[in-house]
Amino acid sequence: MELQFKSELTISESGFLFDHATGLTYTLNSTGQFIFRNIQDKQNARSILSLVMNEFEVNEDTAHKDLDDFIRQLKEFNLVGE
Amino acid sequence: MINKKAYSKPTIIRHSVGVQNKFGRPPATVPINRLDGFKVSELAEKHGSPLFVLSVKALRDRYRDMNRAFTTRYPNFQIAYSYKTNYLKSVCNILKQEGAWSEVVSGFEYDIARNIDVPGNQIIFNGPYKTHEELIRAFEEGAIVNLDNYDEMQVVEEIADELDKVLEVGIRINMDLNDPPWHKFGFNVEAGHAFEAVKRAQSGGKLKVVGLHIHTGTYVDDVTVYSRAAQGLVNFYAYIQEQLNIKLKYWDLGGGYASHNTLHGAYMPAEQTCPTFDQYAEAICPILLNGPFQAQDAPKLFIEPGRALIDEPFSLITSVVSQKRLPSGQRGVLLDSGMNIMSSVQWYRYNFQTAQDSGAMLEDTIVYGGLCMNIDVLQASSSIPPVRRGDLLVIHHVGAYNISQSWQFIYLRPAIIAIEDGEVHVIKKAETREYVQSFENVPDSFISNK
Ligand SMILES: Cc1ncc(COP(=O)(O)O)c(C=O)c1O
Repeated sequence: MELQFKSELTISESGFLFDHATGLTYTLNSTGQFIFRNIQDKQNARSILSLVMNEFEVNEDTAHKDLDDFIRQLKEFNLVGE
Repeated sequence: MINKKAYSKPTIIRHSVGVQNKFGRPPATVPINRLDGFKVSELAEKHGSPLFVLSVKALRDRYRDMNRAFTTRYPNFQIAYSYKTNYLKSVCNILKQEGAWSEVVSGFEYDIARNIDVPGNQIIFNGPYKTHEELIRAFEEGAIVNLDNYDEMQVVEEIADELDKVLEVGIRINMDLNDPPWHKFGFNVEAGHAFEAVKRAQSGGKLKVVGLHIHTGTYVDDVTVYSRAAQGLVNFYAYIQEQLNIKLKYWDLGGGYASHNTLHGAYMPAEQTCPTFDQYAEAICPILLNGPFQAQDAPKLFIEPGRALIDEPFSLITSVVSQKRLPSGQRGVLLDSGMNIMSSVQWYRYNFQTAQDSGAMLEDTIVYGGLCMNIDVLQASSSIPPVRRGDLLVIHHVGAYNISQSWQFIYLRPAIIAIEDGEVHVIKKAETREYVQSFENVPDSFISNK
């Protein structure tokens, strides 16, 4: 599954996200930022999952469920499409 | 596997006006790890979740604070705790220890008070429906009885005949103090009904009116309502004294004092709007003391607080069962407690605080109760940090009405514990199936015989 940002987005060091198309702003926590930057690096969902598990102390079930939920939310905010 | 970072659920939160309010962003939640010194997680592990927790110290402090506020302003004052708010035996006992009398509104509540040895003459018997037998017992035991309607007055006159003595009674009155006014109980002053009722009671020769009772409403956070009620009592007393030569032994201003819970639709949080006990007492006592009497003849002043005493001392520990994303984008979190044990969610906008560090990223969340019913929503919109199944939440100020109004439905009702001086006491065990079904009987002919 290829993930793509729908518009130009800028994210700061602290996880503050600005959507240039809509002017809306968001905050991401550290795990959210990690996933976000990997989407920027054109990773697909499956590889992001293994990257998360390499980076953080978390089991696969939890990481998978949380990643799905996170991506679903990015889609609902209309930030990401496939 | 070396040095992996600690994981937290990934979150993204949209900054919207909805999450903010007039006072800026909601405060980051501080986790409630402990209740009265005990770890929330250990309490839940030992006694189950959900779990009601009573801080006995908080209860005693609330009582003492309220009592101090009024006794320092009125010479002859007595709190009568409103049993219906929470009549757990431990609660009734603790308040009895502190010096409270009991305000009851049914024969069942009367019996609860007598069962823990509250003397009859320290019980105020109110309410619109008291049976003949209950009234006889109350008069024989010297209880204070406030009459609600003419049918009841007639029954009490019959009892006066049976007992062959003149019975002292109070009359419940109401006034047009709030909108909508409370007209269900007692006799209305403005319409002249209250005067008629006092006159009628007095003129039969069987009753002697010695008290007036008014209860202006519940969660009345406007102290001027009490001032107007107090002025109304003073005026009415002056009138019946002059017209009917009535001398009151007591007047009773009822309950209704607000607790530190925020009502739905309230603009500001209760921390900023809930009057102090001193403010209530100051709104009431000086006016009453201007009544038609010498200071040494001041009628005894009763008040009947419920929620203001018992809301704050109780907390509920509850667990996250699941969460999901709604089509609207809002997060939904479902808990193991429902409105069957939290009926006051219909009044209050509760705060749900996590018992563990969940980060400071709050997200607008709909909080569902665990009942398999669509209406079981504990909060339509609450700011909650990331949580996962099994995480514990704490809800404060849940002592009033939730326990006495709880219904056994779908699930068994949880245990209730009390903490005092570093000790945990189970004051009500969690229900069991056997307990719930113990009064049932299945006739043999209903049982399939194979
Ligand atoms: C007669 C009377 N007294 C006292 C109370 C206690 O009210 P609250 O819990 O609002 O203090 C009630 C409750 O409605 C009541 O009906």
